[in-house]
Amino acid sequence: MNATKNNAILVADLGYGDAGKGSIVDYLTRTMEAHTVVRYNGGAQAAHNVITPDGRHHTFAQFGSGTFIPGTRTHLSRFMMVHPLAMLAEERHLRSLGISDAFNRVSMDRAALVTTPFQQSANRLREMARGDGRHGSCGMGVGETMSDWLSYGSQVPFVGDLRDRATLLKKLTFLRDAKIAQLEDQLKNLSNNEFAREDLNVLYDPRILETTADIYKYFSELVSVVEPDYLGELLKRPGTTIFEGAQGALLDEWYGFYPYNTWSTLTFRNAETLLLENDFAGELFKLGLVRAYATRHGAGPFVTEDQDLTAQVPDYHNQNNDWQREFRVGYLDFVALRYALAVTGKIDGLAITNLDRLDAISEWRTCDLYEYIGQAVNVAEYFDLLGSSIRKIKVPADPTNLTRQEELTKALFDMQPIYANCKKDKRAYIELISQTLNVPVAITSAGPKALEKESHVSLRAQNPVLSIPAI
Amino acid sequence: MGSGRWSTNVYDEHNHVKAAAGKSVFDYSDVMHKSGRSTWRVHKSLDPSRGKVRESRDSDEHPESTAIAVMFDVTGSMGGIPVTLQRKLPELLGLLLRKGYVPDPQILFGAIGDATCDRVPLQVGEFESDNRMDENLENIFLEGGGGGQQTESYELAMYYIARHTDIDCWNKRGHKGYLFIIGDEMAYPAVKRHEVRNVIGDGAERDILTPEILRELQQRYHVFYILPQGASNGRDPKILGFWRKLLGQNVLELEDPEAVCETIALTIGMMEGTIDLYAGADDLREIGTTDSTLKVVTMALANIPVSMTKAKTISGVLPGLD
Repeated sequence: MNATKNNAILVADLGYGDAGKGSIVDYLTRTMEAHTVVRYNGGAQAAHNVITPDGRHHTFAQFGSGTFIPGTRTHLSRFMMVHPLAMLAEERHLRSLGISDAFNRVSMDRAALVTTPFQQSANRLREMARGDGRHGSCGMGVGETMSDWLSYGSQVPFVGDLRDRATLLKKLTFLRDAKIAQLEDQLKNLSNNEFAREDLNVLYDPRILETTADIYKYFSELVSVVEPDYLGELLKRPGTTIFEGAQGALLDEWYGFYPYNTWSTLTFRNAETLLLENDFAGELFKLGLVRAYATRHGAGPFVTEDQDLTAQVPDYHNQNNDWQREFRVGYLDFVALRYALAVTGKIDGLAITNLDRLDAISEWRTCDLYEYIGQAVNVAEYFDLLGSSIRKIKVPADPTNLTRQEELTKALFDMQPIYANCKKDKRAYIELISQTLNVPVAITSAGPKALEKESHVSLRAQNPVLSIPAI
Repeated sequence: MGSGRWSTNVYDEHNHVKAAAGKSVFDYSDVMHKSGRSTWRVHKSLDPSRGKVRESRDSDEHPESTAIAVMFDVTGSMGGIPVTLQRKLPELLGLLLRKGYVPDPQILFGAIGDATCDRVPLQVGEFESDNRMDENLENIFLEGGGGGQQTESYELAMYYIARHTDIDCWNKRGHKGYLFIIGDEMAYPAVKRHEVRNVIGDGAERDILTPEILRELQQRYHVFYILPQGASNGRDPKILGFWRKLLGQNVLELEDPEAVCETIALTIGMMEGTIDLYAGADDLREIGTTDSTLKVVTMALANIPVSMTKAKTISGVLPGLD
């Protein structure tokens, strides 16, 4: 599948994240010989796991998941939030795995936002002050970065500021002071909290400002900071560009289930905007990722969650995050997936991952309908009904209406899944997913490594033909 | 999928960065000291004979520049203080910006030795508004020279700033710049013609008396002398008397050189009228300055009379003085 013309593959997760974007992007980079992986949303909180054929494991957060393949570049678009400190730490790990030129292969748009230590610490302090009602945040300051930008506009730091010490110091000082002001109430209660000490220190140690500016300057010299039109040139190169999405459509800033969502656009929209802006004229393939079963980590609605499954299929990679708490597992949820597809728009193919993990599940079932068992919400307003059952979540006419989304979330907490049992046959299971969602299956994955994946369609065709080999 | 897998902290990253850069702050000095005295010379970026003037200019980015020159004595009598200054002074810009004491500070760093006997008696950087000033600072050669006669060539530095700087804050707005000299000895009585020629490259017609060059300098600059108490002559009344006679209240006795940036920043804030000493002390406390540093700063500045600054009043009880 060596490409001569230019083409782009857009990758997005149709769930709450965790569908295996890392391993799919790594696989696509290898099979398509992609020259560049573009990040089009999210920030340092991404955790895209890749295990190479020789067993090296890396969790990609800000480097594109194609970085294991020599020469593959990463471009961080203006929709990405860049966290220089975390990226330095990530690069050290890549170096320890024998990749010594990772930074040489990175370009970043000067208009991308920068996530600072102040936002990271503010994120964590807020979570600590919140106690039990946590929002499943990763504690990297991504939401803070976005909300600060919305509140303060050009007063916050951008990648283009990293080299200008005076501007940077001004902006860092402004942000630090803004955080202290925002957190006034929380700070009072946290002053004696042992766990808060390190993050409090970030806000109050006067040396942090200059030190951060020093680190940023050093960082800015390691990577290429580019003008916005750079991406256009990149996209014109013959061969494949992969747009690697973060998190999942059900966590989208507008369409996700507020307040258990993120501050980032997690549909294809940002990627499409970038392609449109640059008059992209190559072939386009939109790939939606689905795990063979449902997962979610952290708090928030999860209708098909199942305690037994959580015990049966613990995750390979997701156990140790203090900031997000538990990893939750449940049955495949077509109601939620239909909604995800409705908000992402038409896709060209599905990648179904973690098929090997189905072996651990004693009974295979999928959820096609919900039953509302609450009282408070008028369900007809938020859902398409089938008799008295719920078949689909309505896409909001005005996605910026968070009060509405919050009502929807409330309703989702009072839903009971209606399950249909299915045969323990992977081929039939894959076919069921494809038919129910009316999308062809492009890739199946039965393990974290590239060799454990299979393509079923040409990823360069607009209308791929489905062919499912025996598994 | 989301996580904080690569979460790290500023302190650790800074250590990595320093290790990766593989150098200490005292690079140029280290290299020089390893070679013989005959090869010692000023770093080309700090050579006073290079270029005609040091310019502090307004720009789109920095529309209201304020020229601030900080020059410190690097002779042996200062002991370890120049090392401390070289380490601490990079914080000055941040301190000024953070509280907005002065709109667009442009800082020049320089060093003063003894022109009668030193290889490198005068080093002058450029007015910078970003981290290039740190590079100037790093390139300062800590010669550690000077003689035992309690005089160093401060007057030569004054001559340089008076005659070889061009500052927009004065040119365009009639707003004086700042010169802070940090040292522990007296100036020579006059700027000597042959030293001006040898060190700076000017063909001067005659020697210029030190009070005379100071008057010329003070037309465009507020001039302060900071006397660190820990220096060899830090508590010598003769030295203090010498500078008091020349500069009056503009002599600051500094208990601890670690507090040099805070002292300079507050002085500027008070002179600009953005704060009084009390508010400045509050600012310092707010950014985490320790009580002992605060005490040092307020004691150093307590003598600056309100009438001289644009500050309205000094109110409340000052820390360390109550």
